[in-house]
Amino acid sequence: MSVAPDIDVSKAPPGFLWRLVRSPSGAIGLVIVLLLIFCALFADVLAPFDPNKMGSGGRFMPPSGDFPLGTDEFGRDMLSRILFGSRITLLVGAVAVGISLTIGMTVGMIAAFRRGWVEALLMRSTDVLFSFTETLIALSFVAVLGPSLQNAIIAVGVAGIPFYARTCYSAALVETSKPYFEASIAAGAQPTRLVLVHLLPNVMPTMIVVATLGVSTAILAAAGLSFLGLGAQPPTSEWGYMLAGSRDYINRAPWLMTIPGIAIAITVLGFNLLGDGLRSSLDPVERK
Amino acid sequence: MWRFLSTRILMGVLTIWITTILVTLLIHAVPGDPVQIMYAQSQGTTPEQIEEVRRSLGLDRPIPVQYAMFMERLVQGDLGNTIRGGQPVLDVIMQRLPNTLVLACAAMFIAVLIGVPIGFLAAYRKGSLTDITLMIIAIAGISMPHFWLGLVLLFFFAVELGWLPVSGNGWLNLVLPALTLGLSNAAIFARLTRSSMIDVMNQDYVQTALAKGLPRALVLRRHVLRAGLLPVVTMMGLQFAFMMGGAIVVENIFSWNGVGRMAVEAIFQRDYPIIQGFILTFSVVVVLVAITIDALYAVLDPRIRRS
Repeated sequence: MSVAPDIDVSKAPPGFLWRLVRSPSGAIGLVIVLLLIFCALFADVLAPFDPNKMGSGGRFMPPSGDFPLGTDEFGRDMLSRILFGSRITLLVGAVAVGISLTIGMTVGMIAAFRRGWVEALLMRSTDVLFSFTETLIALSFVAVLGPSLQNAIIAVGVAGIPFYARTCYSAALVETSKPYFEASIAAGAQPTRLVLVHLLPNVMPTMIVVATLGVSTAILAAAGLSFLGLGAQPPTSEWGYMLAGSRDYINRAPWLMTIPGIAIAITVLGFNLLGDGLRSSLDPVERK
Repeated sequence: MWRFLSTRILMGVLTIWITTILVTLLIHAVPGDPVQIMYAQSQGTTPEQIEEVRRSLGLDRPIPVQYAMFMERLVQGDLGNTIRGGQPVLDVIMQRLPNTLVLACAAMFIAVLIGVPIGFLAAYRKGSLTDITLMIIAIAGISMPHFWLGLVLLFFFAVELGWLPVSGNGWLNLVLPALTLGLSNAAIFARLTRSSMIDVMNQDYVQTALAKGLPRALVLRRHVLRAGLLPVVTMMGLQFAFMMGGAIVVENIFSWNGVGRMAVEAIFQRDYPIIQGFILTFSVVVVLVAITIDALYAVLDPRIRRS
């Protein structure tokens, strides 16, 4: 989609939302994510059965008219379980990224703003934590707190902090070295004003992209923990946990393995595409 | 070059040292009484036995003393005994660590072998249909959960076709887990290689070489490939850590007898000495690999080698 050079740019609809929708990855990502939010919001209206009710149908019924995605080993309707699972998945993504983002940004901004020994202390500890890798941090947290969905979310959220802190730190560092920032210090701006009015809005675009892509990582990590039995516990219709159970019936009922896997993959793909789209529509260099 | 390396080694030592502290504190962060929790699953443990365990683990002493005891045993190569079975933790880990390392290395080999050429091809044909198709496959590959890919491969190759064994520890058993872990990381390598190669292709010296009429193939081989592969080498260090993390899940799918499977079992059984040993081993391996990769990078990059 190339714009002819003689078109008056001022007439083009402004704003990044338009650019986002016009990029193929952004548009597809946005549609997937919105669809997912819709499923999560209206799961109780859309789902034909109670997701946890056993014997809604026979056991191991292949996909059919009554049960579009089949039934599992307890005769529970897979479609309903997948629909309700979208709530858990979105909740996991939002809360885990929320934890990483708030704490990571606070650490990163303080380090970039205060400099000196505060910066050294914060960023060196971030480096150390970063080399632990997210998996190990998450696993250690679950080992301490015990397996549950709530603990898995906390674990994944905490595990992401070093990465968010690093990214926010480098984005904020770029801002603090710009002339306008030095000018406002010279003009006597208060630290609160510097951080809230100058630093925060300018690191926000970077952090929005990172957080969107981070939702994918968080969902994958939490589903992985549930898959191992260290996250969501029965009878929760969490997708990773559903996949784990499907391994025993891989011969009899391959759809039990296929469907939750596709659900996770599409969700993660949606956030990945949206993140890619956001990056190119928010980044002034790629915008050209 | 030595300054560059010594900073890295210092950082690695610091990381391991902090791990030893965290690992000592870990058991105290457990809500409730860790000894009670550890023995909650085995019936018929008397209060005397529990006190005995508490003493032998040193949990009745102040935390700094516990740390000193832990470090004293650690330098002697003693990581304590497992709660179930009472075997030395170090032996249990050393028995299984080679399996995990073999898996991670095989997966790394597959990931680089597939990912790097794809990334290079995409960069070479930037903007073409080939590039777009390859990158769509790559983003789909990144989005696919590796535990699901594992199940799908298991279904096709082991169950449907019956070509490969479902689980076990022979060489044939390595194929599916390594493929699972390797394929899901190949996509990451493809994306990274592509952007790194494109960066180099836009450099002035490459444009100059092309402008003065050097054959494109020669420019690619001499100027682009070498410089473009450097970030990929750096990435390998980080990616190895991801492989070790991914191995935890993959080992469980294919019943591969590595430290990841051991760690998950230990979490279920609340066998804290094993968990402590696992975390320590994991970070030592990751740090050693990172330092090795940094050394390799220093040798490969003339800017660092000659500094």
